[in-house]
Amino acid sequence: MLRSASLRLAALYTAAFAAAVIVLGAVTLVTTRTTLSQQFDARIQSESAALVREFRTEGLTGVVQAVQERDSTPGALDYGLQGPDGRPIAGRLAQARASPGWSEQRISQFGHEKIRTYAASLAGGYRLLVGGDDESIEAVDNLLAERFSLAILGVVVIGLVGGYGLSRGMGRRIAAITGAAEAIIDGDLSRRVPAAPRGDDLGRLAATFNRMLDRIGALMESLRQVSSDIAHDMRTPLTRLRSRLEASLQGPPGPVQAAAIEAALGDLDAILETFAALLRIAQIESGARRAAFQTFDLCAVARTVVDAFAPSAEEAGQRLTLEDGEPVVVDGDRELLTQMLVNLVENGLRHAGGQAQVTVRCRVQQGRAVLSVTDDGPGVPDAERERLFDRFHRLEASRSTAGSGLGLALVAAVAKLHGAEASLRNADPGLEAAVAFPRRS
Amino acid sequence: MKLLLVEDDRETAAYLKRALTEAGHAVDQAHDGRDGLLLAVGETYDVVVLDRMLPQLDGLAILRTLRAASVKTPVLLLTALDGIDDRVEGLEAGGDDYLVKPFAFAELLARVNALARRPPPQDVQTTLRVADLEMNLLRRTVVRAGQKIDLQPREFQLLEYLMRHAGRVVTRTMLLEAVWDFHFDPKTNIVETHISRLRGKIDRGHPGSLIHTLRGAGYSLREPD
Repeated sequence: MLRSASLRLAALYTAAFAAAVIVLGAVTLVTTRTTLSQQFDARIQSESAALVREFRTEGLTGVVQAVQERDSTPGALDYGLQGPDGRPIAGRLAQARASPGWSEQRISQFGHEKIRTYAASLAGGYRLLVGGDDESIEAVDNLLAERFSLAILGVVVIGLVGGYGLSRGMGRRIAAITGAAEAIIDGDLSRRVPAAPRGDDLGRLAATFNRMLDRIGALMESLRQVSSDIAHDMRTPLTRLRSRLEASLQGPPGPVQAAAIEAALGDLDAILETFAALLRIAQIESGARRAAFQTFDLCAVARTVVDAFAPSAEEAGQRLTLEDGEPVVVDGDRELLTQMLVNLVENGLRHAGGQAQVTVRCRVQQGRAVLSVTDDGPGVPDAERERLFDRFHRLEASRSTAGSGLGLALVAAVAKLHGAEASLRNADPGLEAAVAFPRRS
Repeated sequence: MKLLLVEDDRETAAYLKRALTEAGHAVDQAHDGRDGLLLAVGETYDVVVLDRMLPQLDGLAILRTLRAASVKTPVLLLTALDGIDDRVEGLEAGGDDYLVKPFAFAELLARVNALARRPPPQDVQTTLRVADLEMNLLRRTVVRAGQKIDLQPREFQLLEYLMRHAGRVVTRTMLLEAVWDFHFDPKTNIVETHISRLRGKIDRGHPGSLIHTLRGAGYSLREPD
């Protein structure tokens, strides 16, 4: 039970509140008692003063009469009058000790209750006593003590019951998180913390926890994807490389062997390139590059790329042109976006065939920066189009041509890193690949 | 030239040393970071070829220590890490160039040669001259044998890089990085096309050609043979 942090906390708070109530009670008690005692003393003194005045105006008989009158009134104080020789004259306190001033004494007549008395000296040696027992003060004391004890009991009970309930509630929600974490440790990566109906801190913790799990899941999935891609797609070229080298070993040394080795080197370079591209895509997908984003003109990048590739296209009988207007500012990774555009341009030039016209457009559409590459080649069947962004997916028609099948996968990864939308659509004729960036905030 | 090669993989180190020696360089070797640092500080070298991941002391730590000790020897970093951040980190630590493993030896040699004879930074040249070809960097004009040649801005940049490295081998990758700022290898042979266009403007109509293609290595701008 005490291993529950919330219950321990509740118990601690209950104890603290109980202590606070005790202190409050003590202060109240002392204050009440002091106030009541002062009022009691003031009453005795004012009575005493009234009787002293009575003695002065009416003489001894007046006082005796007044004392007897008061003694018979219920709820009044007690009075006593003694002669100069200490002989009792009148009143219930007549037998009490009468040293001048305040005193507290027990008198047999009153059942040995403690009586507080005030003695005043009158002219002629007479003594006047006024007093009473302060049982009413004690009664108030007792009442207060009793009520405060009940209050403390109430605080403790409410605190413990509330704390227990609270800790049960919290415990259940924390147990849900712990359970999800343990299920994940045991291998059930799809487990998530049940969503809390209330948006409180625990609910937010659960939501954050789930988002973290989603992210880890995505990273693991990408890792798994990369390793299976490598295993799957590297095997073919590596086997080809192996047989090429084996064949070259069998022949006699000479130009044929040298050519075989050179071809093997070429294969190896292609494999390394594919490998590097895969790792690069994985790195981009991990999102680590986002920290290095900068603001720059997308059209300047497009200009550099078109400027670099136009001569080669021209030599192949194709045309590569740029349509741009105002500078289009984006936040992103310049190097990756350059490579993305190069991949799109190379893709267009490679698949559109001779005489093709490839157009790069850089502009703002509906507030979003859009970079597009359009060719007038044969295009791509509708069913195939979306799958082009998958790793290693290649159109059957282009299986035999050069290329790793990773160019558009990299485009998709770079676009995703920038929160941009990469899409392919029929341009009738040809294909238009477009990347639409998010609105800048 | 005297080179220091710091590389922990003995096979790679032995191969590089043999090949660099064949290319006419004197090569000292270190197999771990500590020895490498001691040699680099103690001796004078024209270029240090430094592997990034080393036992004892890693390449970047050596580089930072060297630069902190005001050793200004040009350093070429060899690295298996080809992330953009890794490259930036290497260059910021004081590296002069980097080469991602695996690489072709021709690429390493070209980069080492380019580093060794890099002119000191305080030299501000306003005119570059190779044989009868002259480039004015301030007026951005190019003249060969008294004849003015019109170049596109990118062609001018390409020629400038070749002229600054005149007599040395310049690889495709070096040109992609220096002229287009492409830190990846496009499949299209754009360098070849641009060089052939430049050659058309520079060499056509002149008895000796200045731009030479070295098969499997790259290009070189030098006086006609």
